Amino acid sequence: MSLQITFWILATVAVSGALLAVRLRNLIHGVFSLMIFFGALAGMFLLLMAEFIAAVQILVYIGAVGILLLFAIMLTERVAEDGGRRISSRGSFWGMAAAIAVFVALLLPAIRQTDLPKTAQTVQPSVEKLGQQLMDPYVVTLEVMALLLTAALIGAVAVSQGGKPKNEDEPK
Amino acid sequence: MTLEHCLILSAVLFCIGLFGVLTRRNAIVVLFSIEIMLNAANLNFIAFWRYSENPTLLHGPLFALFAIAVAAAEVAVGLALVIAVYRHFKTVDLEKLDTLKEE
Repeated sequence: MSLQITFWILATVAVSGALLAVRLRNLIHGVFSLMIFFGALAGMFLLLMAEFIAAVQILVYIGAVGILLLFAIMLTERVAEDGGRRISSRGSFWGMAAAIAVFVALLLPAIRQTDLPKTAQTVQPSVEKLGQQLMDPYVVTLEVMALLLTAALIGAVAVSQGGKPKNEDEPK
Repeated sequence: MTLEHCLILSAVLFCIGLFGVLTRRNAIVVLFSIEIMLNAANLNFIAFWRYSENPTLLHGPLFALFAIAVAAAEVAVGLALVIAVYRHFKTVDLEKLDTLKEE
């Protein structure tokens, strides 16, 4: 019963956080409500007994991605003046129509018509097992992931630096 | 809380993300709407894992972990690109970014 109540609270917080994040005019406020959404989703992962993923969610999303987005907004947008330039209400109407159409026509029937398992399995805390799995069958995947993250980091620095640093020394 | 509830919640979140991608013109907001959609997918992975027949295999959390890592790489590169584009065009309005050439 308390699981139900927690689920509904977290679902409400997640949905309203996401809605605010995509609708708010002020982008800084949008990122903060996005962080609330991430936090609610971390709570949902805890509820589903995936405690390590919940911790990763908080560390990576609220910690890293949220701050990164804040910096990107502060570097690009003059927040004080025109925080968010929204498209006209007509465009927003068609966007909402498309999103609702995808939900009603595509996702909801798929969920309704599939024969889903009804009972949750009992799950033990799984951090230790997760670490072992990452080392034994999934070690190649882990290494590829590390390579990807390194490449993304170097690429992000290279792209955001912009210009051609070598040409700075050349005489103008 | 059944699997169906989780899936419907994740579908709703996915559609909110889609709505943001379709309607907002700021490139950064589009990026974080994509993050909302990726998070909805992660919720699906975890929910299916929890209700699967053999959760001790931990396929769901592992897949969600890798998806989170890929999403983090994606947002880092994406924001770097947005900043590079902003340097060039002095705007992040997607409706004005319609050329590949120098203006």
